[in-house]
Amino acid sequence: MTVNVSERPRAVHGGERPVRSRDPGWRIVAEQECRDLWVSGRGPVLVFAFSVLLSVMTYLAGTNQVLNFLEQREAVNLTLQVAVAVGVLVTLVVSADAISGERERGTLESLLLTPVSRRAIVMGKLVAALSLWLATFLVSVPYVWVLGRGVSIVGPAILLGLLVGTLLAVALSALGLLISALSSSNKVSLAVCFFLLLALFAPTQLPGGGPKGWFGDMLVRLNPVGAALRYLTAVVVNGHDWTRDLSYLVSPLVTAVLAGGALVIAGSRIVRLHGGVSGE
Amino acid sequence: MAGVSLEVVRLTKRYGPRTAVEELSFTAHRGEVVGLLGANGAGKTTTIRLLTTVLQPTSGAFSVAGVPFTRPAEIRRRVGVLPESAGYPGHQSGSDYLRYHARLFGLGRPEAARVAGRLLADVGLEERASSRISTYSRGMRQRLGIARALVNAPPVVFLDEPTLGLDPAGQRQVLGIVRDIAVRRGTTVILSTHALPDVEEVCTRVLILDKGRVLISGTVGEVTATVAAQRYGQLRVPIELVSPARRALAGVAGLTVEAPDERPDVLRISLPAGVGGEQDHPERGMNLALRAVLNADVPVLSFEVEGARLSDAFLTMTGDGVR
Amino acid sequence: MLVLTGLLVAAIAPVGLAGSAAAAPSRLPGTVEVTLDQSQIETVVGQVLTVESRIVNSGQAPTDRLVAHVNVVSLNGVYVDLEDWSAEVTQAASPLAPGNSRTLSWKLHAVNAGSFDVYVVVLPAGSASAGATPLVVSPPVHVTVAGRRTLTAAGSLPVAIIMPTLLGLLAATGRYRLRRRG
Repeated sequence: MTVNVSERPRAVHGGERPVRSRDPGWRIVAEQECRDLWVSGRGPVLVFAFSVLLSVMTYLAGTNQVLNFLEQREAVNLTLQVAVAVGVLVTLVVSADAISGERERGTLESLLLTPVSRRAIVMGKLVAALSLWLATFLVSVPYVWVLGRGVSIVGPAILLGLLVGTLLAVALSALGLLISALSSSNKVSLAVCFFLLLALFAPTQLPGGGPKGWFGDMLVRLNPVGAALRYLTAVVVNGHDWTRDLSYLVSPLVTAVLAGGALVIAGSRIVRLHGGVSGE
Repeated sequence: MAGVSLEVVRLTKRYGPRTAVEELSFTAHRGEVVGLLGANGAGKTTTIRLLTTVLQPTSGAFSVAGVPFTRPAEIRRRVGVLPESAGYPGHQSGSDYLRYHARLFGLGRPEAARVAGRLLADVGLEERASSRISTYSRGMRQRLGIARALVNAPPVVFLDEPTLGLDPAGQRQVLGIVRDIAVRRGTTVILSTHALPDVEEVCTRVLILDKGRVLISGTVGEVTATVAAQRYGQLRVPIELVSPARRALAGVAGLTVEAPDERPDVLRISLPAGVGGEQDHPERGMNLALRAVLNADVPVLSFEVEGARLSDAFLTMTGDGVR
Repeated sequence: MLVLTGLLVAAIAPVGLAGSAAAAPSRLPGTVEVTLDQSQIETVVGQVLTVESRIVNSGQAPTDRLVAHVNVVSLNGVYVDLEDWSAEVTQAASPLAPGNSRTLSWKLHAVNAGSFDVYVVVLPAGSASAGATPLVVSPPVHVTVAGRRTLTAAGSLPVAIIMPTLLGLLAATGRYRLRRRG
């Protein structure tokens, strides 16, 4: 077979310039990553599996003859918490693979060889990971509506669920990307992220809500996941005004700002060809 | 002389006590194909990664197409690279992959699609443009990688082991593309390879690296001549006429003749310079040897000269400690 | 003579009148009264009710800081957790001058179906009233909460079926297209 590399009709230096894109680099990366997740990846299968889970939960709640007003609110709260948990989990897993996975698959070097800055690459991957959280949340909306329409909680539950979940998703996705960039291998990155998830979610499942008193409350407030879920419960189940327990959202907000900030500031330094602390 | 497209001055890269590249200096001009040779660990890939801004140098300077190394994003706009261990996203099609990278280099959507289509046709992947990369053969992936390296029409292209793992037909295809890039586009190609015949075939200049330093540089002819490796000739004659051939060669002063046990019909002739009174012209000695055999009415079935090739010079430079 | 009698009556009458008020509650200095704006409420479970209580200082001396507390009592044995009905069951009010009044609003969530009485208790002298001044209680508001089952299997079935079906179809279509591309 004869192959010819033809002369490019338009020279880069001098002559007619090619039409340049105004799209920022992070957006191009985000678009492609989203395509990889949603068109050729596992995204649709994940949300399908999640919807099956929610359907079972909702149907069981619907067939429960003794479900009273409060328990219906608890059902709404549980749906939101499951949506947040699943959304944050898949977002974190995708983030954990984002840099270390590309490194191991050998596709990171090609990305680093483009004029797009490393910071923009990381931002694009963050946005793509967050699309998983948004999709998970959107899937949960009809279920929240069905469960909550009789107890006057649908609007606040959806809005606050979106706020709280987005804060957590940004925080954990940024952390996941940092861990992925710094890990020496993809296995290490995924293991550390799973451990992080376990450490954050496990205390929320303690019987009785965990230690009581000021110390217990402090522990809850320090844990961004625990604090966020406590806030949701206070508003959705206990009927508190949404401003009353806003202090619980401090740790998710601080985590999101710190992790996101670290990613923006250090992104260009930590996204390297080789992983590990001393890698380059 | 064509303009300078790549200038490297005392480029050094250290990892703690280990030096990967040391005081590397060279220049490449427009349209040249420069071969980077060296054993494993000689610093070829590190050199390419430094020049393409993937790694930061410890010291030294370089400029690519007139852009100094202090502007890495600008340099990346002006280079195309086929990394040695390039991976490809298996779930993307070849067309999607090229369009994505074209957009990363700043092309708009329609232009990116057009460039991707053209490059795929250029490297012979037009019919498989919509197929997933996971279904591509190794050779197809290498061609896709070369297409990706050309997506921004760069003045300088770095190809790290482009023929690695390819069958002879695939190697020929890739080398054809490399030649086209340099000749028809006037692109400077920096080619890192172990395949010395490839270098002899396409490279206009050669740099031999060892432990991060340049041992020798020049054209292929200059390098092989400079090293002055011992020359040998392998002469094959009909097996029943080996003895008359030996007697004929014995009459040529200065030749040493051996008959390898495994090949009784082959005579191995060492040709030191100066045979037949011709200083520094071993090929004249070879001519005298041939004439002697032919005059003895011994047919020559095949004749091959060793030691006049780049591979011999390379092995001499890197193998026996000659510097 | 008549003038003297009138003066005597004017001097004695307030004492006599004060005596009769004590029999049917007497008005002490700093006395408060509390009333609610409604006497009957009918609602459905899940609804939010607002009850307003009016605290009046009907005495002749200013009150101390007042503490008001709302209570919900079940009349048919349904367990009532006050925290579920209202997040704010206690409110404080600043001291009231004689003749002044203050209105406190109470938001209650009808979380249980059944028959209930809602009333407000006021501690007229604040924390200083412990063991001394009797509590002031409002008349109750009788609240009837009708039950309503808003979540049924039939109501949840459409969403439970449609969502996974739609998403499953989307996922399958995507996989099929990918496989065809090859």
